[in-house]
Amino acid sequence: MSRSYDRALTVFSPDGHLFQVEYALEAVKKGTCAVGVRGADVVVLGVEKKSILQLQDPRTVRKVVMLDDHICFAFAGLTADGRVLIDKARVECQSHRLTVEDPVTVEYITRHIAGIQQRYTQSGGVRPFGISTLIVGFDPYDTKPRLYQTEPSGIYSAWKANAIGRSSKTVREFLEKNHRDDLTREEAIKLTVKSLLEVVQTGAKNIEISVMESYGKITHLDLTQIEAIVAEIEREKEAEAERKRSRLAATAAGQAAMTQRAGDAGPSQ
Amino acid sequence: METSFALTGKGYVIIASDTTAARSIVKMKIDEDKVKALGPHLLMAHSGEPGDTLQFAEYVERNIRLYNIRHNYSLSPSAAASWVRRSLAESLRSRHPYSVNLLLGGYDVPAKEPHLYWIDYLGTMSEVPFGAHGYGSYFALSLLDRYHNPDASLEEGIATLKRCIDEVAKRLIVSPSKYTVKVVDKDGVREIEV
Amino acid sequence: MLATANNSLIAGRTTIFSPEGRLYQIEYAMEAISHAGTVLGVLAKDGVVLAAEKKVTGKLLDLTGAKEGGYGGSGEKIFLLNSNVIGGVAGLTADANSLINHARTIAQRHLLTYNEDIPVEILTERLCDMKQGYTQFGGLRPFGVSLLYAGYDPQYEFQLYHSDPSGNYSGWKATCIGANNGTAQSLLKQEYKDDIEVKDAIGLVLRVMSKTMDSTTLGSEKLEFAVLTLDPETKKPKAKIYRPSEIDALLQSEGLKKEDEEMKP
Repeated sequence: MSRSYDRALTVFSPDGHLFQVEYALEAVKKGTCAVGVRGADVVVLGVEKKSILQLQDPRTVRKVVMLDDHICFAFAGLTADGRVLIDKARVECQSHRLTVEDPVTVEYITRHIAGIQQRYTQSGGVRPFGISTLIVGFDPYDTKPRLYQTEPSGIYSAWKANAIGRSSKTVREFLEKNHRDDLTREEAIKLTVKSLLEVVQTGAKNIEISVMESYGKITHLDLTQIEAIVAEIEREKEAEAERKRSRLAATAAGQAAMTQRAGDAGPSQ
Repeated sequence: METSFALTGKGYVIIASDTTAARSIVKMKIDEDKVKALGPHLLMAHSGEPGDTLQFAEYVERNIRLYNIRHNYSLSPSAAASWVRRSLAESLRSRHPYSVNLLLGGYDVPAKEPHLYWIDYLGTMSEVPFGAHGYGSYFALSLLDRYHNPDASLEEGIATLKRCIDEVAKRLIVSPSKYTVKVVDKDGVREIEV
Repeated sequence: MLATANNSLIAGRTTIFSPEGRLYQIEYAMEAISHAGTVLGVLAKDGVVLAAEKKVTGKLLDLTGAKEGGYGGSGEKIFLLNSNVIGGVAGLTADANSLINHARTIAQRHLLTYNEDIPVEILTERLCDMKQGYTQFGGLRPFGVSLLYAGYDPQYEFQLYHSDPSGNYSGWKATCIGANNGTAQSLLKQEYKDDIEVKDAIGLVLRVMSKTMDSTTLGSEKLEFAVLTLDPETKKPKAKIYRPSEIDALLQSEGLKKEDEEMKP
């Protein structure tokens, strides 16, 4: 009865899988894409946002939220699960300040969130959280930008750049090719937008970008700024394509000339 | 000896508190800030049992911050005061009650009004145009009765506050040497010199 | 934790992920709602309007309570959640009753703690946290209910929210849940204007309802109706859930009353 192993709550199957956790990851893969990019002294969080319907109130559709003044958070997966997890994390941020008088570090809150997620893969009678998260920010008294990821299983890890959600594999591969450690603010933003454009076909209006430059300093780019960046990227792509075309044309012309000459020189049939 | 005053005016609340931390008859410190900013438009002066005051003020501060960040709503001064009063009243009926007296002042942004609440360690709360805690209150309240004007400008309000401070300096047997004075209005919270 | 199930029979019936990462229980719950009586809400500049289609009707049903007692409404679709929030429900009536009860408790607890009416979004969010819990904890099934919340608070003023069985919610200018909600949505999209006033919104809601409801008759036996406005004197929110006679009068004045000959006494 192998079937019963994916029916009950999270338990091991004979070959060592935790099916519910794996299925939860599938739910994450259906979620909208989120990208985090760390630059030299800046960290950028970009998310794909669903189009806001004509009669919907944009204020209530939030994909990027603050956990505390210095920690920014995005998730991919089930929205309601995300909201509940955000709530728990926010309580911990204030509780930590109350007990030790210091704000949380980014790693601390990541570990806390991952810990909650892990508990929901093991405790009786609950299903795992169907979300992966990206957590960015700066530690108090520190200038190093930080980026962490957590998964439904409770794994957490630090990244230079990463993506979660829909087509995250494609985006991650793109980031692997294009990320450098010394990205400036503008470069980091551009890379984030560029990587999101790999999955977001509709352009600037479905992209949301938040930039953290130092402890507690965060800016959310508005639509015109993102549109400008998208336009710039498109111009570059165009130029690149143009160059490629002319190079191709040049090679083709060269080749044609060569065959011509070869034909001239060769023996006639 | 501990003293705190607060008064409202046209679009603002001023809260002042002495800066001494004492134990028995000994001054331990004379630069203690006993007026806490609880939010962008909320101030609270705390006095009473040392230790309790700080513990309770921090507890309040973190809970109000949590409410703001959780809900994207800021608590109105009246809602914050009700929550604080309730916390004190619950603590009073617990095994270890807090012994804290408070003056809570804030600016209600949507309603564009200043509000001031007087709260004591027994969980009594009342909204007042001016208020005071500690020995200073015996001298200040009659002055405030005479000079307080709810439509006074900030300068006039500060002048009234100065009268209170001067009277306490003149008449109280051990009067505080320094005060922190903070104002909350539509632009938020700031400290001022008097 | 709400409940712990160690009985595998019960555990097997809880909401769990399918291999594709879907939560079928939630999807089925939503399916149930798409057959329920329509509830429609429109946010206006100076108020919010809610209307709902009643499904439980019958000649012998005793509705005298709705005619005289209570605060208006027949207690099937539209409820007063707090003095500043009206709720409209679509889905399983028993689940809805339980949610309404919870919502009222949440609102009263807020009043007790903060001495102010609960802000509309916070009430929505709290109730949604509970709905989410029922999709994650053992031994439970999701609530088969979607709600519309029409409310007022000083910070964001008039608001209209929608929540579904998964525990998601969002704010709307005009929206619709239950049977035929697609048709109603597109009608609303065409006709809604950003600066609409309550008196026009009432007309809009009734027109859309009369077009989307299956029945040939349109009268108080089929319709519940409510409006939330500000009292011009006290500046406090005023929730008005219409009584059957008021609904009939309203339909008459809008020229939308449709009567079935057989239903006449």
